[in-house]
Amino acid sequence: MKRLTSILPAVLLTSLALSLSACSSTSRKQPAESTPVGGGKSGDKSVQLLEDVDEYDVASIADPLEPLNRATFWLNDGIYTYLFRPISKGYQTVVPKPVRNGIHNAFENVKFPVRFVNNALQGNFKRAGQETGRFLVNSTVGVAGLGRPADRIPSLADVPEADTAQTFSKWGIGHGAYLVLPVLGPSSLRDTVGLAGDYALNPVNWVSILYGGYAWTIAIPSTNSVRSLPVQLGAYDTAIKNSLDRYLAARSSYVQYRAEAASK
Amino acid sequence: MNLRKFLLLATALVFCGTAFASSTAEAEKRLQVAVNEVLNAADQASGSAALVESLRPILEKRISFDAMTRRAVGPGWRQFTPDQQRKATDLFTTLVIRTYSSKLTPGMRPVVNIKPATSPAPGRVEVPTTLVYDGSRYDVVYRMEEAKDWQITDVVIEGVSLIANYRTQFDDQFKKGGANAVVNALSQSVNNPK
Repeated sequence: MKRLTSILPAVLLTSLALSLSACSSTSRKQPAESTPVGGGKSGDKSVQLLEDVDEYDVASIADPLEPLNRATFWLNDGIYTYLFRPISKGYQTVVPKPVRNGIHNAFENVKFPVRFVNNALQGNFKRAGQETGRFLVNSTVGVAGLGRPADRIPSLADVPEADTAQTFSKWGIGHGAYLVLPVLGPSSLRDTVGLAGDYALNPVNWVSILYGGYAWTIAIPSTNSVRSLPVQLGAYDTAIKNSLDRYLAARSSYVQYRAEAASK
Repeated sequence: MNLRKFLLLATALVFCGTAFASSTAEAEKRLQVAVNEVLNAADQASGSAALVESLRPILEKRISFDAMTRRAVGPGWRQFTPDQQRKATDLFTTLVIRTYSSKLTPGMRPVVNIKPATSPAPGRVEVPTTLVYDGSRYDVVYRMEEAKDWQITDVVIEGVSLIANYRTQFDDQFKKGGANAVVNALSQSVNNPK
């Protein structure tokens, strides 16, 4: 006990020194290499400059298939411009915004099994429960999911998205390699397998199995595709707008976005 | 370890803590001011071209374009001549202002909710916000640093950092043809808006 009291001040002083150095602004991490090579205006500034150009963390992904991916990317860009954009524009012109919102909400509500199963697979039973609550409230009070009354219940609002690829990511499986899918766009080997899981878990795709018949098989999934076009094209435009290289801009945005989604 | 020493230590720790707290509060306040300035300008602008013009002075004051450019370029920045650095900064400034302005439509006011900031390192603050615009909700994090004043150095929308996004593209150009290639690609992008 005596020994403890005698070393205590030393420990406390050390932690004081550490905390003071942590809060002083002059003790930032030094750059590995600190020889100013042009660029810096004054001595101090160039040290800081060398420091912060090095430290920025940039999410990246292996892209061994880049030539093929670039070709698919440009093909997709053409499909978006000449096919999807006119459809999206037509849909937004013909269908009024409140109706579009209702349709969007209903399709998102039906996707409940995707979110429920994946939250459960990620061991996040609290979110799986919240999703169940959302589904019940939105399907009943929200009239088949056309409205989203669950957003106004604090314990059910703002539940982060969950999908199969995200589950793989939480299990520690990496992207593998970047892959641009025809029509669907940016993905990776892992996320493509994830998409297959999402497809199987989405009741929208069950209608063909349950009911057969062309009308249902085509009508429902294509309505689902069309309603998601404005959102998807909006995200694509945000990623590539004012870029130097559309392909790289889209790839970087995709990897960062997926990393963020998996971290929530 | 007597009582006096202990009190001294405790005071020092508390002081250090408040220094952190006040810096995050200061940055939050600055961001709120910047957001209000931008939204008011967007409300008053008559069209998108006028919006770009009225936003430029505000953004040049609130965003540290110097820091943004050299980080977007990365380690290659050291091999830029002062002239190339100035050109790259000017061009990148125009590109960022254009990108930012294009997200605002005059007359449609987004709701910005600023949440408590954190300080990942001394002199640096991250302010998380949520932005509700046209019925959609976005998570936007502003990274800020203290120079003369608290200024924005990066904007992270739904996990996508503006700097990281351009870093990938600048790196590629730099590998192809050094500083000149970066400056040329930038000026091409500024002069041919897509």
